[in-house]
Amino acid sequence: MEAYLLAIGIICAIYVLLALGLTVQYGLTGLINFGHVGFFAIGAYTSALLSLQGVPLVFCFAAAAALAGLAAWPLGLVALRLRDDYFAIVTLGFSETVRLTIASEAWLTNGVQGIPGIPRIMAGGGIGPQLVVFALLLAACIAAALAYRRIAGSPFGRLIEAIRDNEEAVTALGKDPARFKLQVLALGAALAGIAGAFYAHYITYLVPDQFIPLVTFQVWMAIIMGGVGRVSGAVTGAVLLMLFLEGSRFIRDLAPGLISEVDMASLRIGVVGLALILFTLFRPQGLMGDYTRR
Amino acid sequence: MLYLQLAANGVVYGLVIGLAALAITLVFGIARFPNAAAGDTMTLGAYVALGTQQGSGSLLLGGLAAVAAAAGVSLLAWALVFRRLAKRSVVALLVASIGAAFVLRAVMGVAWGHQQQVFQVPLAFPILLGELRINPMDLWLGGVALAALAVTFGVLHLTPIGRAMRAVADDPDLARISGIRPDRVMAAMWLLAGGLSAVAGIMLAIKTVVSPELGWEMLLPAFTAAILGGIGSPIGAVVAGLVLGVAQEVSTPFVGFTYKIALSFVVMLGVLLLRPRGLFGRLEAVR
Amino acid sequence: MNITRRASLAATMAVPLVTPALAQTAETFRIGAMNPITGAGSPYGSGMQRLIIAAAEMVNAAGGAHGRRLEIFAEDDQTSPQAGVLAARKLLDVNRVRAIIGSWASGVSLAVVPITNDANVLFMNTSGAPALSVPPANARGLSYRFQATNDRFGRGFAEIAVREGFRRPVTMAINNASGIGNTEGFRRAWAAKGNANGVHVVYEPSQPSYRSELQRALSSRPDVVVMGSFLPDTTIILREWVQMGVPVKFIVPGWAGNPQLVQALGPVVTEGIIAVESVSNEGTPGFTAFDEAHRRMMGGRSGLENVYAAMTWDMVVTIALAIEQSRSFETAALNAAIRQVANPEGDKISTFAEGKAAIAAGRKINYEGASSVLDFDEFGDVTPDFGAFFISRGEITRRYIVKI
Repeated sequence: MEAYLLAIGIICAIYVLLALGLTVQYGLTGLINFGHVGFFAIGAYTSALLSLQGVPLVFCFAAAAALAGLAAWPLGLVALRLRDDYFAIVTLGFSETVRLTIASEAWLTNGVQGIPGIPRIMAGGGIGPQLVVFALLLAACIAAALAYRRIAGSPFGRLIEAIRDNEEAVTALGKDPARFKLQVLALGAALAGIAGAFYAHYITYLVPDQFIPLVTFQVWMAIIMGGVGRVSGAVTGAVLLMLFLEGSRFIRDLAPGLISEVDMASLRIGVVGLALILFTLFRPQGLMGDYTRR
Repeated sequence: MLYLQLAANGVVYGLVIGLAALAITLVFGIARFPNAAAGDTMTLGAYVALGTQQGSGSLLLGGLAAVAAAAGVSLLAWALVFRRLAKRSVVALLVASIGAAFVLRAVMGVAWGHQQQVFQVPLAFPILLGELRINPMDLWLGGVALAALAVTFGVLHLTPIGRAMRAVADDPDLARISGIRPDRVMAAMWLLAGGLSAVAGIMLAIKTVVSPELGWEMLLPAFTAAILGGIGSPIGAVVAGLVLGVAQEVSTPFVGFTYKIALSFVVMLGVLLLRPRGLFGRLEAVR
Repeated sequence: MNITRRASLAATMAVPLVTPALAQTAETFRIGAMNPITGAGSPYGSGMQRLIIAAAEMVNAAGGAHGRRLEIFAEDDQTSPQAGVLAARKLLDVNRVRAIIGSWASGVSLAVVPITNDANVLFMNTSGAPALSVPPANARGLSYRFQATNDRFGRGFAEIAVREGFRRPVTMAINNASGIGNTEGFRRAWAAKGNANGVHVVYEPSQPSYRSELQRALSSRPDVVVMGSFLPDTTIILREWVQMGVPVKFIVPGWAGNPQLVQALGPVVTEGIIAVESVSNEGTPGFTAFDEAHRRMMGGRSGLENVYAAMTWDMVVTIALAIEQSRSFETAALNAAIRQVANPEGDKISTFAEGKAAIAAGRKINYEGASSVLDFDEFGDVTPDFGAFFISRGEITRRYIVKI
């Protein structure tokens, strides 16, 4: 039982990291990133491929974060010049391009056959290795949360919030909003990259199909429900998301005849949609509060 | 000759995109947000048409039923969700439209299942122009696309409600001051957009197969075409769809069949950065 | 919040799952059925799972395996490696199963097999990826594949192409592991025979049209197009092909060239298509039992519509026979017994009851299953023969069998 709950905890923590990355981006600057899964994929593949070459895991994770953050740079340059919704569409294109590239460049990524046998963080059966992974993830989440708090509370952070409110004023004061936006975007992307690395070394198999836009929307749903712009919102949202994704397993157990198995897939997507609508309509600030000033 | 045939293939594909883009550009121009539910509205049109055709034997009846159903559902989505978010940010509307898309897809999944279904249409052999092969079905498709364009144009330029729509697209505040009632305009627009989506969906389904993801997968190219053509310009949407379709197919000898899909994104990016108002659009706040 | 959730989770654990209700005092042999009820594998997953349950019922009705009844715990892997990992963990840690069977997607199998290896339980799948045969995936020899590898399928295609006298094949593959694996297997086998390969076209799933891809494939005027494809894209491609008016033959995989394809396109378009599938033992009592169970559980539909369900049925019977043979419930003993009951030599039997009786009488058996003859090689892969099925006037009939 414990191992199963731990497994859920690990996947949940990965989603928390993803949600924190998105929170950093949207919550602080209002940038709508619909391509988050692209950074997730870059981190996962980078870490997996390097580790299979024998590079120590620490460096793999660092490289994952760095490459994901770097990938955000050109996207950020584009972002600065576009309105929110246009940027959102462009980021969607970005993550799909990442996926197509991974699928096509088989010489590097083994393409659609995928990469099996990725080394785990700690090998072996039993509950020990899983605990180690969970602990590391937890540490990463806490580090991310602390970093976010510090940024939000620092002069840099206050500047970023000011950018959200009034970009012209900030520019008039001689500050450069563009550079800060880029840095925030890169930071959020790096967090997604680290989440990707954890994912790769836990699931041990990567294939482009795992990095579809639906994942991005699930993370969006998490932060919308939990409350954007707050660490507690990211955590709550990710937990809710996990409950929802795993919970459907138990609905079948409790009431086997109630919903046909195939309808369960429709039900899951319908609940996501309903949650997005209801939260947007009635509780845009999410469960944990905090208003989005946009 | 190869390129000419590729271009011809692209025209067909482009018309499908153009039809979908038509519905999107209307909403984008008048309600001012990208409607992610357009794809699933297309799928709805396809399923309703299929079901009606199977029941009644008439594709025409199927088409009419589909248009009615899609228009009705779009109106409902507006009344229940989008209308209440009218004062909110574009993002809120976009996210809500994604939610609406998912709900619609869930309902369709339960109603019609996930197995592929196919329109039974008579096969036709190609018309040969020299070495160029033109499919009669595609000619028909082109005709429908033009008809849809003509209807949209007619509504927008020849009817009072259409004039009101254009006024709202140009300047909503001014429109309201001049006495145009926003609710009536919006309702009419959503009905029209829903109907157009249904037609696009049926066309796509006839060319391919009916499946739950049919419309969603069209979204990105359709949005690209709408942006390329200039938001709010129906002609722009169709022309841009054609351009994109042809460009995509003609590019395949250079980029391959996988990366050609990414071409839409590259084009869209280029358009947004270099000429944000697109081919035919008004000057629009893109930044 | 944590506590109440954990408590409610614990409460749900106590609810008995999808099994025949029986006296809980008797020890059972627990098997986990992890199948793609939702996701890309959903056309096959429900059938696979229900036939596992039906096979277990059949075994139990025949007196169980070495005195114990089989108990099935069913999960949906959603055709996703992530969901599969969680499903496997639940089956192993909460339900304490001794085997996980019925994984369909290669991605799910590859993600789950390290877990089953660590837990020292048997793992049986119907996936195609070559990586499942060798370490690290099959490092402990506990993984059995009841479906021909993608590569073997490709070789089957090549044998049939030779037999049909084709000279200039081209390949079209959907851009996923199965499509690429099948066609690459074909091309290697074709080249190994000293022939020249034609163009290789890879196409993306879910596109509105494949005309350009077809055009490229047909540009060199081949005599046959060998496809690594699935049903929707095969439907679209064939429909576009017939409207191009270019004569050529098609060899497609059996899961694409099935009754649904004929229903979608009609007899004219599908005339002459060759579908390739691993040969199942129609005509044996074992297949009849499977087919009857399939019709009963799947609304009257024939077992021929879901070859994967035949495989999962065989998985249950194989495990039950291995238990009988080894008189043990321990993984190591079972693992050794699987080849003993499934491989030649031995009395050919096709049902559990027959096998149980033969083992009791001290004879060695060779279980020939509903899905194939089930002879496992050193990697735990089956080496089936392939049938060439021809679609003619809307009917699909097997004309001959090739061995590779």
